[in-house]
Amino acid sequence: MTPRAWLKAWDTFFFEKQSPLPIALFRIAYGGLVIATLLLLRPDWLTWYGTHAWISLPTMQTIEPGRRLDLFTIIPQSDGWINAFFWVFLTSAILLTVGLFTRINGVIVFLCLVSIQQRNLFITNSGDTFLRVTGFFLMFAPAGAALSVDRLIRIWRGKESAVIRPESPWAQRMIQIELSLLYFAAFCWKMKGPLWLHGTALYYVYHLDALKRFPMPAWLLQPTTLKLGTWSALALEFSLGVLIWIKKLRYILLALGLLFHLSLEYSLNVPLFQWDVLSAYILFVDPADITRTWNWIGGGVFAQGDHR
Amino acid sequence: MTIFGLSPEAFRFHSQFEMKKKVIQFDSRQLSKGQGSGLQKAKRVAINLFLGFHILAITCWCVPVDTSFFLSCRNFVRPYFLWAGLFQSWDMFAPTPALANSYVEATVVLKDGSRRTWAFPRVEQLSLTDRYIEERYRKFSENLQNDQNDALWPDVARRIARIDSAPSNPAKTVILIQKWSPIVPRVDGSYQPEPWDQHVLFGYGVQPEDLR
Repeated sequence: MTPRAWLKAWDTFFFEKQSPLPIALFRIAYGGLVIATLLLLRPDWLTWYGTHAWISLPTMQTIEPGRRLDLFTIIPQSDGWINAFFWVFLTSAILLTVGLFTRINGVIVFLCLVSIQQRNLFITNSGDTFLRVTGFFLMFAPAGAALSVDRLIRIWRGKESAVIRPESPWAQRMIQIELSLLYFAAFCWKMKGPLWLHGTALYYVYHLDALKRFPMPAWLLQPTTLKLGTWSALALEFSLGVLIWIKKLRYILLALGLLFHLSLEYSLNVPLFQWDVLSAYILFVDPADITRTWNWIGGGVFAQGDHR
Repeated sequence: MTIFGLSPEAFRFHSQFEMKKKVIQFDSRQLSKGQGSGLQKAKRVAINLFLGFHILAITCWCVPVDTSFFLSCRNFVRPYFLWAGLFQSWDMFAPTPALANSYVEATVVLKDGSRRTWAFPRVEQLSLTDRYIEERYRKFSENLQNDQNDALWPDVARRIARIDSAPSNPAKTVILIQKWSPIVPRVDGSYQPEPWDQHVLFGYGVQPEDLR
């Protein structure tokens, strides 16, 4: 491939306009997951972030020094303000989900999400991390260009027609790259561990009491099955990290990934992680297929759009 | 003779004026078009730089390759990543999953000499709904057991002292204890829980101001 061909491929990949339906659907899923995260945190909100939290703000700043985007360092340290922070965050997440003032709410949600994680990094799991890093790129995406109240307002004001305008997908591509890097990095980390290579890693994972959710059938806990499971996880993480970019393999890999995460959701108690990751699968679905699926379901709302 | 109601001189003047106006309009349109495309080009260049930088930086940050290039790149982007919240690690259950079941509990010695045991919520003892809500305690407890996070222990001990104190009988000492039971694989695949062992993480003498 010549440098000119590389540049053209780069330009097409990041800038060739396409339907904003996938990023709009991702926005809705993402907003829903942020809301769910907040609702699960609500009973212990002050326990984790309040003035008498498990970790004080000064301790956190000592452990994690340096300049950070953290709104907790600028709001007054009283439980009233910290509760108000929760409600602002929740309201903004709801508005982002419905797509009202999408851009500004994307920024607020990201700032609040970064802040709660910086305030207490010791309770965050990989799902929280994924929401944070994808939230960064979502701020730049045309996430309100479809399926949003913003769009309805633009149509009502005559600024936009019923046809959904194609948009440059570069921010969506970055979220897709984040997802594939998640899998590829997870694969690389596991390849460094002898238990993964020997096929015994899942034996330990499934005997961690604190991670158990629903009971597993006995045959799934047999050494041979666990070995196959361990190696299959490695193969799948590599495939979802690298081969996902090959169009012909994409849907089969997404289907296998979906099964993989649903099985983990059944067996392991890591709230929302599987859904956080699965939400980004939408971005790998061809907009035309989203429209076809919608029409097949019986909608038709998307049918008028340009779904290149 | 008039042309469109104007004298020939007036028409010539009018035509010249209109022509000049059109030239000026044309020039300004060209100018704004030129400025617009210039801005568009600058915007495109800026986005490309943003994309290139972030793809390279995120790859170097999260892929566990420790060549000098990757290490230099990580050091270079560290301040920005920490500030912007782009730091990330995808080492779930890797390189080695936990090899033991473990949890943290605290022994609280009160003023009258009595002892109480305080424990974080343990996921395996909770209902399905509570498992979802209280899962953060599992993560927190897991992090507490890491010696690298010893700076957390005094804050945790102070909070337990506050929770477990009565004004008439305040906490005097809090001892954080790690309990663990190794997971031992057996040839036939069966699992037998091993006996629990324990290890004192930290002892803290409670001060009166800690209880406020």
